[in-house]
Amino acid sequence: MSLHTDRPRPPFERLLIANRGEIAVRVIRACRELGISPIAVHSDADVDAIHVRQADASQRIGPPSPAESYLSIEAILEAAHRSGAQAIHPGYGFLSENADFARAVADAGLTFVGPPAETLASLGNKLAARRGAESAGVPIVPGTTVAVDDDLDGVAAIGFPLMLKAAAGGGGRGMRRVDAEDGLGEALVAARREAVSAFGDGTVYAERLLAPARHVEVQLLGDRHGNLAVLGERDCSVQRRHQKLVEETPSPAVDLETRAALFDSARRVAGTVDFHNAATVEFLLDAERRHYFLEMNTRLQVEHGVTEMATGVDIVAWQIRVAAGDTLPDAILQPEPRGHAIEVRLYAEDPYADFRPSAGHLTVWRLPDGPGVRVDAGVEADTVLRSEYDPLLAKLMVHAEDRPAAVDRLRRALDETLIGGVQTDAGFLRWLVDRPEFIEGAYDTGFIAEHWPAGQRLGPEEASLAAAAAIGMRAMEPATGGPSQPAAAEGSAWGRTARLEARRG
Amino acid sequence: MSDFEVQVEGQPVEAAPDVRLLLDDPVTGVGRLIRGDTAIAVIVEGSGSDRVVTLRGRRIAVSVRSWRERILAEAERAAASHAGPIAVTATLPGLVVAVGATVGDEVEEGASLVTIEAMKMQNEVRAPRAGRVIEVSVEPGQTVATGAAMLRLE
Repeated sequence: MSLHTDRPRPPFERLLIANRGEIAVRVIRACRELGISPIAVHSDADVDAIHVRQADASQRIGPPSPAESYLSIEAILEAAHRSGAQAIHPGYGFLSENADFARAVADAGLTFVGPPAETLASLGNKLAARRGAESAGVPIVPGTTVAVDDDLDGVAAIGFPLMLKAAAGGGGRGMRRVDAEDGLGEALVAARREAVSAFGDGTVYAERLLAPARHVEVQLLGDRHGNLAVLGERDCSVQRRHQKLVEETPSPAVDLETRAALFDSARRVAGTVDFHNAATVEFLLDAERRHYFLEMNTRLQVEHGVTEMATGVDIVAWQIRVAAGDTLPDAILQPEPRGHAIEVRLYAEDPYADFRPSAGHLTVWRLPDGPGVRVDAGVEADTVLRSEYDPLLAKLMVHAEDRPAAVDRLRRALDETLIGGVQTDAGFLRWLVDRPEFIEGAYDTGFIAEHWPAGQRLGPEEASLAAAAAIGMRAMEPATGGPSQPAAAEGSAWGRTARLEARRG
Repeated sequence: MSDFEVQVEGQPVEAAPDVRLLLDDPVTGVGRLIRGDTAIAVIVEGSGSDRVVTLRGRRIAVSVRSWRERILAEAERAAASHAGPIAVTATLPGLVVAVGATVGDEVEEGASLVTIEAMKMQNEVRAPRAGRVIEVSVEPGQTVATGAAMLRLE
């Protein structure tokens, strides 16, 4: 069934993608299928980037620093004018939730693939969003619904441990855990300072820390005619530093009754704002399967792909179509999800050093393929990774008839994955798929902190295999000299020939 | 391969016997470790005695030295132990957002010297040992590459 045959002409002639990396590539693919000419933008660091080469044209928007390029409203609007684009897709991150940007795009007579600026402004304030959800009858995490002032007694009454969060934050940023009353004053000063430096707004609110809890979100898609599709939930509980690493749909923790309650709450929250676009309503789910509203994001989520695999709905294509005024068809308004989909995020991060970012030169990039596997990548072999940008390299997604089959497929896909030159989290992900908690779906947001410290120890089997690999390589090379002699370096034709000879033998 | 002394992440290790390496791509070091009838994909990078083996997603530092190399390295280390000033270098590439010491400061081991922001995270570079700061060569707003000398301690 093609969902686009009802559209004889493309929704736009040219669309500019105000982003980079894998999400820019994803939007380019949707444009191609809709018959839209995709226009990329690039900073000086991205002249040769994969998203630039896949687009029909690319506009330079400034130096490598994001503030002067991908975050520059002026540079992006100029690029849109130069390229003759009629619409702008912001992707996620960067300007995707920036109300000033949405307003500037509209003022320039272009279509913003996203909600109206006012919606972004009201949801961008997490405190206002909390009040909105509460007034719509949706449970919120216990805490303050007004900014924390210097009255610490009121905050302490919430109970410890608690989280201090930046009202202008979101996506896991601008958060600080406080375990006891005596640390509160100091944490508040630090949280405000962080909030000012990261978001330009020092307003902070407090929420009780719910633990154990799962992070479950509901995917929505709305059009300009009041139709709202609920495309299922995603479980995003495997997190480090409040950042998601693994997402799956359906959630192993959600039964029919909980799902109905989550969907109802998501619809209520969506009803508090004027919105047409893809959106996600995020909740915490406690051990008794009670849910609490966290935040609503009216943009494409990193993890939208698992929902696409399970529902067959092309969320990005429909974001663009509803932006052009199209009506969501019944097939999307009554989706019939099938099977189970899991995504893992491949990050240039070192899971053996507290998930610190690891820049460098990507030498080998071998990603899996085959039945039920999807890879959305923003890099390829021989890419130099820059520290200015998000360390997400690719999203590896699998789909199968049920969760056990999806986990087996994910394990197979990770075994096919081979990345060289840069430490990634692939080893952590491979470890994860063998953990009984993950296999049973019994994990919560504290999983990595609790189990990974032991998981990252190098086992004797790995050590002896690594030793055998290194010796095997040296043994194929010509006779070795002193410690700093370069003759056996991989660039040498001699060494290469010798190794080829050895391989034949 | 008893000719080689192997250390994995700094610890002496016996190589797995009955395992052989099949090299698929000599340029990138992609190959397979064959043990019985199973194969594990690996990458072996680096040159000389210092190698990095990627195995099941993990980059593992392996030092493979012949006896000759080991003796040379020990002699080098002995020469270097008459320690003079040491350089404090960037542990990751990024933007210097704060410098916590000025020339003349006496710092404790572990004191935060430079804050580097990379990929939205702030990372502290700390003093590897106690000493007096004799040179500061970075300032906030400057970008640094991994290994760049930022301060000198005496």
